[in-house]
Amino acid sequence: MDTESNKIIVLESLRIGYSSGKHTKELIPPITASSDSGELIAVIGRNGIGKSTLLRTLTGLQESMGGRMFLNNKNIGEYNRMDLARKIGYISTEIVRAGNMTVFDLVTLGRFPHTNWLGRIDRASQIAIENSLKKTGLTTFRKRNISELSDGERQKAMIARVLAQDTDIMIMDEPTAFLDISSKFEIINLMLELTREGKTIIFSTHDFNVAVNQADKIWLMLDSGLLEGAPEDLMLRGSFDHLFESAIVGFNSDDGSFTFMKEPRGNIYVSGEGIIRKWTERAVVRAGYNVSAKEIDITIKSPNHRDRKWMMVTKESTEHFDSVYDLVRRLQR
Amino acid sequence: MKNDNKTIAVKMLEPGGNITPVFILLAVILIIAFILDILLGSVSIKPAEIFRVFTGNADTNIETIILRFRLPKAITSLVVGIALSLSGLQMQTIFRNPMAGPYVLGVSSGASLGVALVILGFSSSFVPGNLQNLGNWVLVISAWAGAGAVMILIMFISSRIKEIMTILIIGIMLASGISAIVSIMQYFSSETMLKTYVIWTMGSLGNLSGGQLKVLTITVAAGTILSIASVKMLNALLLGENYAGSIGLNIRLSRLLIFACTSILAGSVTAFCGPIGFIGIAVPHIARNLFGSSDHKILVPGTIMAGGIIMLISDIISQLPGNENILPVNSVTSLIGIPVVIWVILRRRKETGIF
Repeated sequence: MDTESNKIIVLESLRIGYSSGKHTKELIPPITASSDSGELIAVIGRNGIGKSTLLRTLTGLQESMGGRMFLNNKNIGEYNRMDLARKIGYISTEIVRAGNMTVFDLVTLGRFPHTNWLGRIDRASQIAIENSLKKTGLTTFRKRNISELSDGERQKAMIARVLAQDTDIMIMDEPTAFLDISSKFEIINLMLELTREGKTIIFSTHDFNVAVNQADKIWLMLDSGLLEGAPEDLMLRGSFDHLFESAIVGFNSDDGSFTFMKEPRGNIYVSGEGIIRKWTERAVVRAGYNVSAKEIDITIKSPNHRDRKWMMVTKESTEHFDSVYDLVRRLQR
Repeated sequence: MKNDNKTIAVKMLEPGGNITPVFILLAVILIIAFILDILLGSVSIKPAEIFRVFTGNADTNIETIILRFRLPKAITSLVVGIALSLSGLQMQTIFRNPMAGPYVLGVSSGASLGVALVILGFSSSFVPGNLQNLGNWVLVISAWAGAGAVMILIMFISSRIKEIMTILIIGIMLASGISAIVSIMQYFSSETMLKTYVIWTMGSLGNLSGGQLKVLTITVAAGTILSIASVKMLNALLLGENYAGSIGLNIRLSRLLIFACTSILAGSVTAFCGPIGFIGIAVPHIARNLFGSSDHKILVPGTIMAGGIIMLISDIISQLPGNENILPVNSVTSLIGIPVVIWVILRRRKETGIF
């Protein structure tokens, strides 16, 4: 089956948590998981489950509390600090604030584990810095002060820094947390491109859709332990049902969406065609009704053009609406 | 937000600009300031006299003034300026706090406590005589210990509290607490010891014996070499400890090294010249803005030069050229440093960067 050799990371009963003084707190049952080289792995789970702790432990910023961790089939304890920094790069949500620091300066700091005691930039470092600026599209930003960057540009600069660090593995803690939608997809796209070029990226996210649609593998962190698998495998096994142990939200494994669980106000049949019917059905659900599969007492006739009127037909009356907004307002009365 | 930098008139270079002319300019100003510091004072000396001193045919009075007083004082100013500014730069980077400096965070006070323990405590009970009779190394090492203790205390506090202004206020509290302890010690000490101590606290660049200047120069040279050796670490620390750790920096070791270095630099100066304020906090900001850089490969030499210049200028002002009186140098440095500090605080309201 699996050949151990192309597993870049292997976790065997890894125990994570933190200790302050005598008080220790272990966060999740021992973790057994692995990653192939070149995979994009999404770590998902509720707040406080230990996503950041796991990522910090993988990076070597935090001691594990037991178990074993292999990097390229070698126990992580056999790597010294500098060796590890040449293998694993790290980006968290922490923002670097240093006055007068340019994008170039920031990216240059990624060369730390490769330069001499003074941090002199040799030819190899120069090439690495230029390449990582080019790959992230920041070549023209090199002299820009990092305090003047937008959130998306800043995240790209942080990625460029890790690229300059020239590691096989990138660990990213919520890389899209503060980003607007277009920057978010730019960053995701960049991450996908990098994995295609052979980098292994392990990132945590609260964006379920990104995890399910883009990741090669998901590490799903639940109170009962970590489950791993392709998004679809986890979907079919029903693993995501445990993601929210709540009565308010339900998981729909047909299309991978979440819905609020509430008693429907009634059933409505929606007639019509195509995209207008589809969105009308969604509006009906949003208004708190079930969409019926067959014709019943209440029928909403969705128009075949969005400039025409919506019609709601019941036994007693027929009403017309100019927009979905008006329709929903009526349904919620 | 984007145009904030342009509003700062003092800024000579945009980030990434050419730094060589700035270094040359600073070197020239440094040399001029050093010579002026020797020439100006209660007795004005003509430039030509300096050459005569070194060729051996000068007026003996002038020779005495230059070799016994002016030259040692100018060297002391230079060394003190370098030491305080470098310790300020290191503290600002390691605490990631633009308001850090040996004086404001109580490190100088810690060194004072060490000195006070020696002057007021031990000497009054064991050793008769004045400050000159004390071992210079005893004095300097007790100052290091006091400075180091405060550094560790501040580090401990700032690992719990991230808010910059809170740490600053705690630093001021620490300094006040230490001066209260010193006051109590003064109350119980003898009159001669008290006088020695009070004169010491006023801060002086001109009262160092030859032996003391030697100890000061050796220790500051050692601290400066350590600073240069820690340039790469300081750069990594700009990222914050998590990122610095992730690129391979040994946080504990580098922190220890930089703490030792800061304590040596600030402690040695405080031991011999008394607490001198606001140079440590102000000069690194001047250097950062002159060079438009965050790179310590540039900032360390830049701070060394700017610190030397500012301290020499402070000394020139304190000697009140053409006047018999001498101002306490501590007042002069405060008057120069405080506007810079206020400017940094005001600028911070607009900029998002920490420094």
